[in-house]
Amino acid sequence: MNELSRTRDLVAQLRRQLGENDPLPPRPRPQEIPFPPVRVFPTPARRSAFAEQAAAHTTALVGIGHVGTRYATDVVLQFQAELAVAHGAVAAELPGDWAQSKGYVPLVSRVSSHREFLLRPDLGRRLSPQSLQLWTEQSRKDIDVQPILADGLSAVACMGAGPELLEAFSAECQKRGFTVGTPACAKFARVWLQDEIGQVARARVAVILLGERPGLGTGDGLSAYLVHGPRVGNTDGNRNMMSNIHARGIVPADAAKRLAVLVQLMLEQHTSGVGLDLAPRAAELGEAARGGYRAPQARSRLVEV
Amino acid sequence: MKLSATIRGSTFGFGSVKEVLARANPPKSGDDLAGVSARSPVERVAARAVLSQLTMAELRAHPVIPYEIDEITRLVEDNLDESAYNAVKHLSVGQFREWLLDSKTTGATIRSVAPGLTPEMAAATAKLMSNMDLLVAGQKCEVVVRCNTTLGLPGRFSSRLQPNHPTDDVLGILYSTREGLSYGCGDAVIGVNPATDTPESTAEILRELHALNTRNGVPTQNCVLSHVTVQMKALDLDCPMDLMFQSFAGSESGNKAFGISVRLMDEAHDKMQRLRSSKGPNFMYFETGQGNALSSDAHHGADQVTLEARCYGFARRYKPFLVNTVVGFIGPEYLENGPQITRAALEDHFMGKLLGIPMGCDACFTYHAAMSQDELESLKVLLGAAGCTYLMSLPVGDDIMLNYQSSSFHDIPSVRGLLDKRPTPEFDAWLHAREIMVGSKPGPRFGDVTVLR
Repeated sequence: MNELSRTRDLVAQLRRQLGENDPLPPRPRPQEIPFPPVRVFPTPARRSAFAEQAAAHTTALVGIGHVGTRYATDVVLQFQAELAVAHGAVAAELPGDWAQSKGYVPLVSRVSSHREFLLRPDLGRRLSPQSLQLWTEQSRKDIDVQPILADGLSAVACMGAGPELLEAFSAECQKRGFTVGTPACAKFARVWLQDEIGQVARARVAVILLGERPGLGTGDGLSAYLVHGPRVGNTDGNRNMMSNIHARGIVPADAAKRLAVLVQLMLEQHTSGVGLDLAPRAAELGEAARGGYRAPQARSRLVEV
Repeated sequence: MKLSATIRGSTFGFGSVKEVLARANPPKSGDDLAGVSARSPVERVAARAVLSQLTMAELRAHPVIPYEIDEITRLVEDNLDESAYNAVKHLSVGQFREWLLDSKTTGATIRSVAPGLTPEMAAATAKLMSNMDLLVAGQKCEVVVRCNTTLGLPGRFSSRLQPNHPTDDVLGILYSTREGLSYGCGDAVIGVNPATDTPESTAEILRELHALNTRNGVPTQNCVLSHVTVQMKALDLDCPMDLMFQSFAGSESGNKAFGISVRLMDEAHDKMQRLRSSKGPNFMYFETGQGNALSSDAHHGADQVTLEARCYGFARRYKPFLVNTVVGFIGPEYLENGPQITRAALEDHFMGKLLGIPMGCDACFTYHAAMSQDELESLKVLLGAAGCTYLMSLPVGDDIMLNYQSSSFHDIPSVRGLLDKRPTPEFDAWLHAREIMVGSKPGPRFGDVTVLR
């Protein structure tokens, strides 16, 4: 027998072993599939004892069960809804006329599109030539504090709690006798844009309040960055910051007080960032921050059918 | 050394090895931001053609940051294993790529030359590889390390349990930890990124995790990922610390921005050698990620892939138990979308393994990057197939403190099931004893937290 016919016999034999024309065993008779047990995203009414106890301490999605190694359908939908909310917050843009309608000087960075905003932090840190001119003309000069509202990574947050925070903060500053600059609102803004805006107004301290990077199911958080002696070329080491400013975190009223205390420290010590000593006003900061600590937010159902 | 190539009559010349390395990279938004990427797809191929002809000796002679001004370059150069280097120095990058992919080349032979490779050599090779090449070559490398458990054996796939909490509520951390263990996660480490970077809170979390592991006999490691100087102070508080953590960059100035240096890390390593609670001999844990040098303007005009490889050159000094790239965390200005994040994860895994590092990956995205959940799930399977040592694991992959999306408690057993992989042998035995797993399938107590006290 030659090589070729031996191979041919081997292949034929394999085919017989694998079941000739039907390599699978006969199809089983279909049986009606019973309804699976109800597996839902834990809600206060329906969660397990474990999920109940855990919810008092964490917003992590625990006690959600499993099907095989995967999620129940209800959990998948909850997750997708939370993801969509986060993505929606990132994709939202500040409408062109919003700043003006609120009475703020409308400024834009050198960024010209949302994608460019995400990819070019350097352009988001400088004013466009037109905005630079407008701001030079319209800003009050030689002031203690320059407040700036900005979109950052969530225009939703900026338009949500932004005005309330800006007004409360400005009021707290005035209460302490600081001169407050013309309120500005910047689109496509990164944190460092505060340097140029503050520099033009010759502000001693610049404070930018901007939408922070959304988390799952959220998108309404604001962060505040403060810098003494705003000028182009400052780095992160020159800044102080506060994050998590939203209804379930540090509420705007408390944040405003604490930010004003930070401004006062900067005006007293003529510095900010790593060099700023918080100790002299620790009690005030603590008082202002006291209300800021909240138990973790409750995770609510986003999907109802 | 020839630094030009001609494609269809157009000649592309490059000014330096560093420039060739950068232009040869597949598209990355971070390289665009740094202004070092190829200016056209054809120029990219020309750079690769030039790179393929450079020898390993030429790459050693031209590190992307000069010896005189960078301690990572000095560390790599001064500690290179000369006999291993001599085995590869004559090969071009193109030939070295072929040697790696050759069926006759095994994990053992790759291991024999690993200490003679510089990060630039690993990065150069990655640039000549497709994603499938990176999977095949990465899967071949064998890196096995041991602390309380043995990590990286063939057929194994591990996970870090990451029970982060926005206010470091210890009970909250423990609820997530118990849930994760009940899904078979946490065999690489139970590691918490703390919200508060203080020695006291670091020590407190370590004590609680240690107590949970002891109470339940879980064979794994604990870790709190505060700054290394904070962990050194925590060690003075007499707390049980199995692994010590730090983030690394690929240049001296990048590490300075992280507040570390070779000298500080040597000191930290020595202290851990004396005061740790784990068996060892490997007990350090490092995180890296493409783009982290550029973000502190410490990239010296080099591309982010080469700088990432240099992190592993730094890391291998300390014979780490864990190293992972946090690939999608840095944001779209460095890795814009799903394809870029996927590519970076596979590059980092390959380069780390080639340099002898037990490479894991935080396969993840932030919500402003253009990556879908489906793309992220696919990446987890690719990494499993590449032999990636470990992934992260969180409730639904959602980090409630750092606000990003990673892999989940459910993903780890899913990938294990798909690829027929098991956790570390020690942890595997524990899972079986607790009936959480039976073989590679979920057991009767899978997902049942009452299995843990």
